Amino acid sequence: AGLHRVFDLFTSTAAEPWPESATLYQPLKEDQILLSDCASSLAVQAYLRMCGLPVQVVCKANAEYMSPSGKIPFIHVGNQVVSELGPIVQFTKAKGNSLSDSLEDVQRAEMKAYMELVNNMLLTAELYIQWCDDATAAEISRPRYSSPYSWPLSKILAYQKQWEVRRKMNAVGWGGKTLEQVYEDVSQCCQALSQRLGTQPYFFNKQPTELDALVFGHLFTILTTRLTSTELAERIKSYSNLLSFCRRIEQTYFEDKSS
Amino acid sequence: MAAPDELFCWEGDWGLPSVSTDCLVVLAYAQFAGAPLKLRKMSNPWRSPSGLLPTLRTNQKESLTRPSDIIIHLRKQKYNADYDLSAKEGADSLAFTSLLEEKLKPALIYTFWVEPKNYVDVTRRWYADHMPFPLNFFLPGRMQRGQLEKLRLLRGDEGLEAGEELEKELYRDAVECLNLLSQRLGSQKFFFGDSPCSLDAYVFGHLAPVLKSKLPNSKLQQHLKSLDNLSSFCSNILLLYFPQDGRETFGPKTSCSPAAAPEGGDFDHVPNKRRKQVLSALVALGAMLSYALLTGMVSIQQEALQPQPQPMTIGSHEDEDEDN
Repeated sequence: AGLHRVFDLFTSTAAEPWPESATLYQPLKEDQILLSDCASSLAVQAYLRMCGLPVQVVCKANAEYMSPSGKIPFIHVGNQVVSELGPIVQFTKAKGNSLSDSLEDVQRAEMKAYMELVNNMLLTAELYIQWCDDATAAEISRPRYSSPYSWPLSKILAYQKQWEVRRKMNAVGWGGKTLEQVYEDVSQCCQALSQRLGTQPYFFNKQPTELDALVFGHLFTILTTRLTSTELAERIKSYSNLLSFCRRIEQTYFEDKSS
Repeated sequence: MAAPDELFCWEGDWGLPSVSTDCLVVLAYAQFAGAPLKLRKMSNPWRSPSGLLPTLRTNQKESLTRPSDIIIHLRKQKYNADYDLSAKEGADSLAFTSLLEEKLKPALIYTFWVEPKNYVDVTRRWYADHMPFPLNFFLPGRMQRGQLEKLRLLRGDEGLEAGEELEKELYRDAVECLNLLSQRLGSQKFFFGDSPCSLDAYVFGHLAPVLKSKLPNSKLQQHLKSLDNLSSFCSNILLLYFPQDGRETFGPKTSCSPAAAPEGGDFDHVPNKRRKQVLSALVALGAMLSYALLTGMVSIQQEALQPQPQPMTIGSHEDEDEDN
């Protein structure tokens, strides 16, 4: 429903320039935000930096509820609110900023397919590890997710979210997988990405696209987040071209950040 | 020589070897890789080892139901249709399969199970006609509820209902996905060269039901038919790998089809028609007879074969009956 509303507003606001006051909302960085949301947020931030569009990052405990689709992150530009990378890319395209215009049709098909690969395998694996692995859920996910709230709301919200994610895992056929199988899927996904990247600086030619932003968001977050085990980060580290890819984007677009 | 694994899958119709996407994916892959499977086509999921279709029962008596698991198992048995793919092609294959799952599958679930006209006229009717009594009363409805739930979870929207807005969104994503697939296929015979691989199996499994079924609300079908290379891709696979199932579309009947020839139109073909008619007649007769016996309209008089201790009592009892 949010996507439909956003498209309706395009025609009237496409001509407006990108305002200085654009903001990106995400949950609290230190205590609350989880791996998957942090990855999605970093992907959007990377994309906007690649487009040269300035945006302020604001952390709010109820960011998930403010978002029109319930997903993090979302941006507030002028008088519009757009959430998730896909719609945000469309939104900036309507304003005249696009990273993938110079691609040929076949390349654009590949770009979209690889973006879905990241969503289908990496993001789902992150959600699985966070909420379906009992150790991680108990030690990290549930405490962090419910940290802004007091008991008993914290317990209720945490378990509700866990139940919701577990149902989704069952629906997409990941419910019966073991942790080892999930790590294998992550390896397979990274192998495919590594293969596609090869020795190039970015996935397509010398210019980054939204695919680069998405891959950077997920891989960088996994590499720099502390989980109950380092297995996930280890799987990515075995692909050296992906590591140098992350480092390159960090240095090019995030060098002013101290982290 | 080890016995071949058994595959339980849904029956076919409309010129397809099976009506279910997952079954078609597995069947196509098995054909491409040359894997010998003992096929058990049925329309009663409760008769399969896991309660779901498709199910592969391996030699070690394991039951696998996810198409990806089944394909991995077949690959381990050295039936590998992706053997000739380069590393880059393998990566592309994974990416395009993900594209299918994320962008096309929700629209397919909507088209067959959620869109009211399609569901009532085609899907529910097919399953109710083909399932045995008494499953045909409740199982299609249960399957529909499961599919709607799945769509809700995939979209992350608990209050999702069938409607024009949802249809537009889903079909927009699906049309884009179909266009991307068409661009990638180009004028080639299969996605990666001259021999088919697992991606071809996935694409065939997802597209063939849309192409071949007769749907009242068929926007997706029309768009697919307008993409010539994808339509001929599906027809090609049917012709090459499933010739006996495609006989309705492709000319003279072959004699090796064990199923009964269709009686009348496709919609009127009810399997085991004679058996169902006899069964209905027997049930009706039995119901009438038991009603008659219980209300006493008909009574069974038992002739005593050996002398009874009190013959007088029985005689008066018989007298009373005769008075009625």
